[in-house]
Amino acid sequence: MTALQPVPAGTLASLLTAIGSASVRDGGGAVTVPVPAARLETAVHHLAGAGARLADLFATDGDQVTLRLVWGLDTERQYLITETAIDDLEYPPLSDIAPAAFAEECEIYEQFGVRPAGGKPLNRVALPPHAGPDFPRLGHQPAQPPAEVHAPHTVAGQAFEFPFGPVRQVGVESLYYGLVTSGEEIVDLYLFTWHKHRGLEWRLRGHRPAEALFLAERAEGLSATAVAWSVAAAVESALGAEPPPAALLTRGIALELERLYNHAAAMAALCQSTGLSVGQAAAEIALERLLRVNAAVFGHRYLFGVVEAGGVRRGPDLAALQVGLPGGYGELRRAADALLATNSFMDRLEATGIVTTEQARRLGLVGPVARASGVAVDSRVDQPAAPYFGHPPAIAVRGTGDVLARFQVMLDEAAESVRLIGDLAAAGPGTGAAPLPGGGGAGLGWAESPRGEALAWVSLDADGRITRARLRPASVRNWRGFDDAARSQNVFTDIPIIEASFWLTVAGTAR
Amino acid sequence: MPLWFARGLRRGIVTTRYPARPDRSAAGLPTPPAFRAGVIDRRLADRLVAVCPSRALHRDGGVLVFDVGRCTACGRCQEAAPWAVTPSGEFELAGTSPAQFVKQIGLVQEVGQ
Amino acid sequence: MSGGSRARAVAASPAARAPEGDVLAARLRQRVASQFGRSLHIRTLDTGSCAVCEQEIRLLAAPHYDLHRLGFFFTPAPRHADLLLVTGPMIRAFDVAARKTYEAMPGPKLVVATGACALGGVYPADAFVYGAVGEILPVDVWIPGCPPSPLALLQGLLVAVDRLAEKVSGLTFTAGGDAEPPAREAER
Repeated sequence: MTALQPVPAGTLASLLTAIGSASVRDGGGAVTVPVPAARLETAVHHLAGAGARLADLFATDGDQVTLRLVWGLDTERQYLITETAIDDLEYPPLSDIAPAAFAEECEIYEQFGVRPAGGKPLNRVALPPHAGPDFPRLGHQPAQPPAEVHAPHTVAGQAFEFPFGPVRQVGVESLYYGLVTSGEEIVDLYLFTWHKHRGLEWRLRGHRPAEALFLAERAEGLSATAVAWSVAAAVESALGAEPPPAALLTRGIALELERLYNHAAAMAALCQSTGLSVGQAAAEIALERLLRVNAAVFGHRYLFGVVEAGGVRRGPDLAALQVGLPGGYGELRRAADALLATNSFMDRLEATGIVTTEQARRLGLVGPVARASGVAVDSRVDQPAAPYFGHPPAIAVRGTGDVLARFQVMLDEAAESVRLIGDLAAAGPGTGAAPLPGGGGAGLGWAESPRGEALAWVSLDADGRITRARLRPASVRNWRGFDDAARSQNVFTDIPIIEASFWLTVAGTAR
Repeated sequence: MPLWFARGLRRGIVTTRYPARPDRSAAGLPTPPAFRAGVIDRRLADRLVAVCPSRALHRDGGVLVFDVGRCTACGRCQEAAPWAVTPSGEFELAGTSPAQFVKQIGLVQEVGQ
Repeated sequence: MSGGSRARAVAASPAARAPEGDVLAARLRQRVASQFGRSLHIRTLDTGSCAVCEQEIRLLAAPHYDLHRLGFFFTPAPRHADLLLVTGPMIRAFDVAARKTYEAMPGPKLVVATGACALGGVYPADAFVYGAVGEILPVDVWIPGCPPSPLALLQGLLVAVDRLAEKVSGLTFTAGGDAEPPAREAER
């Protein structure tokens, strides 16, 4: 099963040496290396040491539970998946070597009943407290329930915890914070999202790609194009379908429009969190204009219904794009320039919510949050595939890792998105989809959502129905950086500012 | 602050006059479908039911039942049968009881006979 | 469309489904709505949405729509709220939080369910979700859409306070004309 062409090189080659294997499968969007359970710790050590980014960790049920780790070999332009069958209920602890894995270890435990060895307490992630043995899971109920991270109303030494949410301020998603504070400063912050768990991965099983994309778009509606693209690409990789180039150009335009309106919305939220109503109004004018551009170009304000397995369901109205985009972006730019000249606003953003480069790397953060902390990951560049292969964006990177840096990264990205849209629109976008071959298979797909890399892994049976769909919108990865950002010498009133600068969703992480 | 004040004045008013005046921006938005009753037979109705991802359609004997409340205006029914299903253009859809959303469309026996 | 009953003050017995029950409910709604006609405070509640409905709701206060000019205001405090604007398919794990939010609002109060998820679409009732807001809360007005645009939301809010008449009951969603299907379709 060795790939003959190309010869394994770089990290892949050294990994194979480290685990003493020559077995590699190339295809399905990534290079897959089966790793026996006994070698898993070695493999993870090796990959983490070689600088590979742990992008995801998930399990699949079967005769045994199979653990898959998705690694981004970003400098080598590929994804690597290690595949390990777990015979008993435990596997080597991974989060000590790769801290990015902890939340996923907890998720796998509550869905599949297998846990890392070592007895470390695992938290509840997606399933609600009352989830009994009949509650739908992707695998089997764990032998012991997960630990409850709770927030008692007590004063304990210098700090006390209090719960906040899940019903919060007006017009935001439900989210539960456990806030640990010494009075004003935030000592610790943890989040519960199980009250928004719709069980999307469980629902997708048995669906064909067409119905699956309807649900995938709604996993994280503000990243509808990106998540749908990642699932469609996973299906296409699995079955060996090649979308027509014109359809990929269309996807790129939709994705960049998605990025633009999200960054405008984040700017509006930043203004609201700092109490600058007039700035918020200016940003909302830009946002509304951009949403109307989306509706004019693609028929939906939030770009639902564009991506289809094999291609796209509709092509862009280029005339409407040409008419509407300059005005919409102009509003965004003017509002941003005014904000950057408003000292009272800038003072709230500087040195707030710092995520250090080391934290961003350790936690495997993605998107503008990572880029603002000096970690230059961007799947449009790191994993070149059409249409970005022919139209590479410049990656916006800053080093300070505070709210201001994230805001500036978003502004740079917005400018770059407008440029990209112009290039893609001139390259002949169209509509249409390639037919999906039969035969089943498994594949990895990705797209750079406004929040960062959205990943999906899908396996289909011979009938073309999904047997396992793994959805990993960027929010899944980046919320774990929120704790660190909130903790770095911030006060309560900084929390909404930091949250706006992350611009994640609860829906995308709870799924 | 003078910066913002001047910008605001230059910008002018963008606020909609709805409901006093209709708002043109509504014209671009997706709307639930309208069904051509005279051309939909049971077979086509069953196809439309199967293609709806939101369970807004079901067939009750010779009647296609459409629940507007469940409709996401995704357009799949229209794509499946563009001669029989078109956008309704309606977006003022609020209702005060569940029954107001349930629409019955009579089916023809057999089309083309 | 699945959903609960309006106006819990009307007896929740089979008799309430009789026409007299509907008339009583309508009259009660009218009295309630007439008190809110000029000024209405709105609390939002997310029972499991995909986050897009929330974005459209936030835009109600934005310059293009400006709900304040209609006398509507958002409030974060259930105690000050007259109307609960609810999104999402009512995830089961959230039902207690939803009921508590509703019960924290003093009467008289209205509930508006908004978005296809909240009206029984997208997610069928199963172990994760009830499938519709009306399964847990007494809904007065339903607003379809995915998402409902800010204009659709404004229409729904105005219907809720009786400043606009609902029109959906009069819409048939049928189109006239004698369009023939393409011949090949008829042969299938």
